[in-house]
Amino acid sequence: MRKHHAMQLLTKLATAAALCAILVAPSLAQAAKDLLTIDAPNDAATLDPQLQWDTDSYGVYRNIFDNLVTRDGTGTIVPQIATAWRNIDDTHVVFDLRSDVTFQDGTPLTADDVVFSIKRITNPALNSAQLSQFDQIIDATAESPTRVLLTTKAPYPVLLAQLVKLSIVPKAYVERVGNQEFNVRPIGSGPYRVREWQKGVQVVLDANATYWRGTPPFKTVIFRAVPDVSTRIADLKSGRADLIRLMPPDEAVALKSNAALTVLTVPTERVGYMFINAQAGVTADPKVRKAIAYGIDKQGIIDALLQGFGKPVGSIGAEPIFGYLPDIAGYPYDPAKARALIKEAGAEGKELTFLTSPAYDRRIVEAIQQMVNDIGLKVNITMLDQASFLRRRQGTPNDAGNLAIGVWSCACQDADGIIFPLFRTGSSWSKYSNAAFDTAVDAARSTLDTGKRLANYRTAYDILREDVPGLGLYQSYAFYAARKELQWQPTPNEALFVMDMRWK
Amino acid sequence: MLRYALGRLLQSVVAVFGVLTIVFVVMRFAGDPTLLLMPEGASQEAIDALRHSLGFDRPILVQYLDYLGNLARLDFGVSVVQHIPVLDIVAARLPYTLELATGALLVAIGLGLPAGVAMAMGRGGWLESLLGTAVLAGQSMPTFLSGVLLIAVFGVWLGWLPTSGADDLSALVLPALCLGALSMSTFARVARIAMIDELGRDYVRAARARGMSRLSAVLRHVLRNAAIPVVTIAALEIGNLLAGSVIVETVFAWPGIGQLAIQSIQSRDFLIVQMIVLLTSVIYVLTSLLADVLYGVLDPRIRLAR
Repeated sequence: MRKHHAMQLLTKLATAAALCAILVAPSLAQAAKDLLTIDAPNDAATLDPQLQWDTDSYGVYRNIFDNLVTRDGTGTIVPQIATAWRNIDDTHVVFDLRSDVTFQDGTPLTADDVVFSIKRITNPALNSAQLSQFDQIIDATAESPTRVLLTTKAPYPVLLAQLVKLSIVPKAYVERVGNQEFNVRPIGSGPYRVREWQKGVQVVLDANATYWRGTPPFKTVIFRAVPDVSTRIADLKSGRADLIRLMPPDEAVALKSNAALTVLTVPTERVGYMFINAQAGVTADPKVRKAIAYGIDKQGIIDALLQGFGKPVGSIGAEPIFGYLPDIAGYPYDPAKARALIKEAGAEGKELTFLTSPAYDRRIVEAIQQMVNDIGLKVNITMLDQASFLRRRQGTPNDAGNLAIGVWSCACQDADGIIFPLFRTGSSWSKYSNAAFDTAVDAARSTLDTGKRLANYRTAYDILREDVPGLGLYQSYAFYAARKELQWQPTPNEALFVMDMRWK
Repeated sequence: MLRYALGRLLQSVVAVFGVLTIVFVVMRFAGDPTLLLMPEGASQEAIDALRHSLGFDRPILVQYLDYLGNLARLDFGVSVVQHIPVLDIVAARLPYTLELATGALLVAIGLGLPAGVAMAMGRGGWLESLLGTAVLAGQSMPTFLSGVLLIAVFGVWLGWLPTSGADDLSALVLPALCLGALSMSTFARVARIAMIDELGRDYVRAARARGMSRLSAVLRHVLRNAAIPVVTIAALEIGNLLAGSVIVETVFAWPGIGQLAIQSIQSRDFLIVQMIVLLTSVIYVLTSLLADVLYGVLDPRIRLAR
């Protein structure tokens, strides 16, 4: 009997496996209109919005909390809890707050909560991953229930861009229940409240019916943790999920032929770049660095390896980033010129070390290796684990290798968060030193005058173009796929604001 | 028997202590996790502050003694990423892995044993070649492939079972099948060999000579004797199921400790990784201890030989 049963099952499995080769047709269940299910690669690490800010945690908790300011669809910083702000002097900013906002437990949101939120996240004892984004704020005081005064260490032009990421938490509730409880059962003033958090499985959110910006579009939103991309796609095809985050470009291309689904892509503020060590080995010679810049076929990498989902950039920056100047042209792909420069430098056949780790796209590393070999150098790839990679990359110039790639984002959409840490003398990432560059980026971060800042960044980017201590490759894209019925335009900062989504 | 069991227990304690030490050494010499935890562009002061608060700036011997002391008090620390005690995080995920391992073991035994017995009894016939092929397929197909295949067929195409998650028992079917397939093959092979071994023995011939049918000889005597190696394999397979669950849990979004291990490695949550490695090692040691003791209980030849 059992034998028979086993046989039957084996036969079934064999048939099923054979049929699997046939194109799998999606059987979309008619999902309830008031439920939205989102598949992300990971569960939220914390729901306390002041502890972690990885994309998956961020995606969930930004729907539970409000911020002082936010970015609209065009990327402009616009009011949210703050209605207006003005600089009193270079280091003091006053914010006027809305008076009609309440937390989900009914208590009103006041200046005390804003002050508490800032003091909490800047307290090193909290161990927030966002501490370095806010540690320029040295004081916050409530001048009235609807007015807050912030003091910065020095003139801090990136303040507003950073405040986009500061969630306002309820002082009374946090103080009453403590940090650990708040992390598990948070209360915010945002469009959704936490119904249930099954750790590692899903977060279930209910609409906040009294939300000040209007009624949220779905009664219930579920964020599920589904680590494997093919499983997320299967969830979408079978109707178990309505929206999925993150897929490799090949999968995005494959899904485009599916009539029931739509692939959503958006250029982000993440920049694919290459580091070129200006202080050690054969790349210490600027001619060699220039030759490498001429030898890299950016468009080729984008077309062949990113399936066209990427935009070549002239410098290390991208459109959504303040200070990025699209008119500063990059080096054109010119292998003949590159070879000539290598010959001129007498560097033919010299060896280079390309440091990398499994965190970086191996195919791009190998493509660049091939391109640099083609201009007359010899590239050796050194594969390390991520911890060793970072230790060497941020260590002494002699130990940092000649080349490395990365995808950089400061999540602040400002050049100060990119070229300052990458190339300023003394920064652990920098294997380059140029006094004129240092002066320009120092000046750009210590004035609030946007015109002066832009002029300084123009100087800085011009110097980088001449010295090539690094090379901008492409602007990275974010990928989502959703049921056709979902109306949503993803944004460059990769926020998953459910308030911006609708059923068609 | 008692001396035998105590001797094995002592060996296990030494093995666990060895694992504790290896884990410590590997975690400390693989590199300092501080840099991994900091955002890009963080200042040197911030990095140093975090290194100090994690205790990585202390002498290595002090760190080791501290580590052993904490483990002795069952204090596994607080996750540096999730800000929740590591013990709570792992404890919340462990039941899922146990559920999956149980389901997989049921699949493996329920399908593997009958297949093995059938192969032994139908030796040389078409049934053996057919089942042999299935067993080989079950063993050689990697779970990340069979998992995706099962999801595509039963989840997306037929729509019978959920494509992912752990909502109810129906969600357990596919991952248990996927994970169980590996062990199923082991059970089938071991059962087949043990059966063939026993079927050729004198007592079977004697039973047949007494007029007993082949089937009742198998049911009354052979199965019981053939069970000895199968039971010990079952204990050892529990360890393999836990190890195999890393991939299966990831493919099926099953929230057990295998998936947690992968996520924690990705998010550099080293204290969770450390606890999972310790836990898995201890389970391995305990199950092989169990296997040895069971072997002694079932087979007097083993315990008397010592």
